Amino acid sequence: MNVTTLINYLLIAAVGGVGSILANRGIAVFNDGLRPIMPEYLEGKITRKELAATSFAVSFGLIIGFGIPVSLGSTILVAHSILLSADVIGTWTPDTKWGTALAGIIGAIYGAGLLFGLSSIVALFKMLPFNFLPALSLMSGPILLAFCAFPALAVASQHSPKKGFITFGLTFLAYLLATKFGTFKVNGYTITLNAIGMSLLVAMICMIYFAAQIKGDGNSNASLVNVFSKRVGRIKGNWIWLSIMGGLITSASSMLILAVDILPQQLLVKNQVMEAAIATFARAIGFIPLVFSTAIVTGVYGMAGTTIIFAIGLLLKGQPIVAFLAGFVWMWIEVQLLAATAKGLDKFPGLRDMGEHIRTSLQDTIAIALLIGSAIACNKMAANIGFFWVIGFWLLNKKSKKPLVDMAVGPIATIAFGILLNILRVIMIF
Amino acid sequence: MMIKIVIGGQMGKDEIKKSLIKLIGDRDVEITVKNDLDAAMAIQNGESDYYIGACETGAGGALAMATALLGSDKTVTVASPSKVLSEEEVADEINNKGKIAFGFTINTKDTVLPILVKYLVK
Repeated sequence: MNVTTLINYLLIAAVGGVGSILANRGIAVFNDGLRPIMPEYLEGKITRKELAATSFAVSFGLIIGFGIPVSLGSTILVAHSILLSADVIGTWTPDTKWGTALAGIIGAIYGAGLLFGLSSIVALFKMLPFNFLPALSLMSGPILLAFCAFPALAVASQHSPKKGFITFGLTFLAYLLATKFGTFKVNGYTITLNAIGMSLLVAMICMIYFAAQIKGDGNSNASLVNVFSKRVGRIKGNWIWLSIMGGLITSASSMLILAVDILPQQLLVKNQVMEAAIATFARAIGFIPLVFSTAIVTGVYGMAGTTIIFAIGLLLKGQPIVAFLAGFVWMWIEVQLLAATAKGLDKFPGLRDMGEHIRTSLQDTIAIALLIGSAIACNKMAANIGFFWVIGFWLLNKKSKKPLVDMAVGPIATIAFGILLNILRVIMIF
Repeated sequence: MMIKIVIGGQMGKDEIKKSLIKLIGDRDVEITVKNDLDAAMAIQNGESDYYIGACETGAGGALAMATALLGSDKTVTVASPSKVLSEEEVADEINNKGKIAFGFTINTKDTVLPILVKYLVK
């Protein structure tokens, strides 16, 4: 085992351990849906057992139906696979000193075990009679540039289809210009503009421009901050724990072993670190209103805050110590600015509403891009029947009793197909 | 008496509104679409009777703000990626447990909405 591998295991164990401690003590949880339940427990309205049951109910499906399966085939964990589990571990362990310690230990073992498991599965896949890892890597092809379409979709759903098409056109134009004229020489150095980054930047500027034009004098957030000032104070009082967690996540992100979502994870699989950082940042903007509003009314913060720390980690690639410090400081800043930012959003209701449109349009864009990518991947494994498999899987999922999250359908269909083909090969049908 | 439903949550609000209108027909129901925070506040202020919201988890973007403001004794996740409540369970939540805010995964919209309408709009 070399030093990097050791650092990776220590980091992921620390993320799992500290994350479980935060959930155990009700300082922070990752699942936005669990956050409002925490104060009910802290105030004695529900029992620890009920809390544990709820946390399991809201997270388990996403862990086994999204977090873990979409992480398969690579050694980059999607945050849901570890941080949602930390929610569950933290709430299942008793609310005592020993319980907190136990949460830390179980969380750490889980984190390291998960990384070991995923690495073993990659090794195992390589040994299969029919190695489908090369085909699997085709899955992320479409997403590389296609995700830049999400701001246009967000604009269309928030404002008007016309503005959506304008954004789409400008995004397209930005990509063309950056590809055609993006390389130039300055003092003998060749500088190449990142075409994907440039087009996404233009798209996001359009999106923010349209949203910022909606002015308002509402006071929803301001009144929340006033009513729940004690809870905001509770988050501030926990800053040291939050900063430690922030540092650890940023550090793990800088080692490219932890991504906030399937989009940056797929970009990292393709070694597009800069693009992954930009995508992570764009995604975080969509989550700020939800994370901040729920945090203010509950006094329980997000385990990764606004998730901007993941982007910071990617920008500090390969420098875990610097990344830890940067993440530590950044979380402190986030916590300090919590109330002010939330109040500021009242002045720009368009920006606050933009959050939900970003989240939805990102999820839709990723789902379609991965659907097409997985169709390409499956068809590479077995021509024609691959398309049949993926398209059928997608459509039937919609009709199933417990449908999978759209974003997970493509990846799960692809891995299931790869395993199925191996079974067929063993019994000599394929 | 007119029933007022507010659509909050995160995903598919317009589709949910369209489906609701179709399911409700000519019965006296007012449907409004708001962001999750304002929708939850509308229930709190008595401007609306019922809250409906969807997202990928049925609990986060769909219902988190409603749960935070109204309390979990008023809200229920009808469908999550791990569990979809049966019609009997939904009826029990509404009739016996006094639930007025409902979250579900967007993929279960077509199963969940007819059941909700059946028990909310009588």
